[in-house]
Amino acid sequence: MGTVIAIISGKGGVGKTTATANLGLGIAQNNKKCIIVDFDIGQRNLDMIIGLENRVVYDMVQVMDEECSVAQAVIKSKVNENLHFLAASQTKDKSVLTSQKVEKLLTELKEKYEFILLDAPAGIESGFEHTIEFADAAIVVVNPEVSSIRDADRAIGILDAKSQKVKNGEEVDKFLIINRIAPEMVRAGEMLRSDDILDILNVKLIGKVAEDKGVIDASNQGKPVILDKKSLAGQAYSRIAKRICGENVPLEDIESMQQGMFKKLAGMFK
Amino acid sequence: MFGFLKKKKSASLAKDRLTIAIMSDRASNQEYPFMDELKAELIEVVKKYIDVKDVVIRKENEGDIEALSIDIQLDK
Repeated sequence: MGTVIAIISGKGGVGKTTATANLGLGIAQNNKKCIIVDFDIGQRNLDMIIGLENRVVYDMVQVMDEECSVAQAVIKSKVNENLHFLAASQTKDKSVLTSQKVEKLLTELKEKYEFILLDAPAGIESGFEHTIEFADAAIVVVNPEVSSIRDADRAIGILDAKSQKVKNGEEVDKFLIINRIAPEMVRAGEMLRSDDILDILNVKLIGKVAEDKGVIDASNQGKPVILDKKSLAGQAYSRIAKRICGENVPLEDIESMQQGMFKKLAGMFK
Repeated sequence: MFGFLKKKKSASLAKDRLTIAIMSDRASNQEYPFMDELKAELIEVVKKYIDVKDVVIRKENEGDIEALSIDIQLDK
């Protein structure tokens, strides 16, 4: 039985879709069968980030409505055979989702894949609720910035109230990715430190990703940044993917890293 | 006074402001995990006696006191 992980954020534009694409590919690189599903109906984007926008024939709403099978709708990644992708519907709106349809789709995917990553829509409306409803775990993506952290807390609150697991008296695992950290700003006291963010949000840290211009360059090409072995963000996603697969990878001290030098200078700033 | 304010790094200001804003958000959180089920069951129970249009359940906080406010709208 596969594990369903919802990638959520509350606020838009913090790197949720980028995280979904890179973690999906990272999990696949660890030889696990993984599918990434775009739940952002009406605002399809994961297809662009993963470079498969020209291959979309059927979408997940058509699967749910039994207009096609899962096998017909799923698209295989060009770079890793373990990674599959299911597109969001671009023409419909979020109201087409119902709990029954979502549960049926996820039950089927859990039989076929070890990991099912759901790219949630921004906001906390019905589309978001349907993404988290049947998830076994959630990864919360934030930027070290006040509006992102506040919105993430609201999203976590809804997750704790609406998740099927919570309703059954179980706990839904929540993990935090702090994305777009600017180490120099953190050192100068001009950006929230990871510890401060963890004090405020009640979740476990699963990874920190530094601000990296390569992410835009990668999205321009439709090649997730994890494929660039030299990229700081790519390396960070690769470590997070290993942690998701159960490997014990120590958390890195990104804040002490000097951009471009790949060198730890922690001692100098103490 | 301005000089004093300037000395405080903006990251710690952000933490203080966020802590207060999020505490207040959480206090006004209107959700319990069971609210949808409670609503459905309430409608079933009341329907035995009179037609119901909608049931609105709100969690209300005032100081230390938490309350559920249940509004049953009847169908005319």
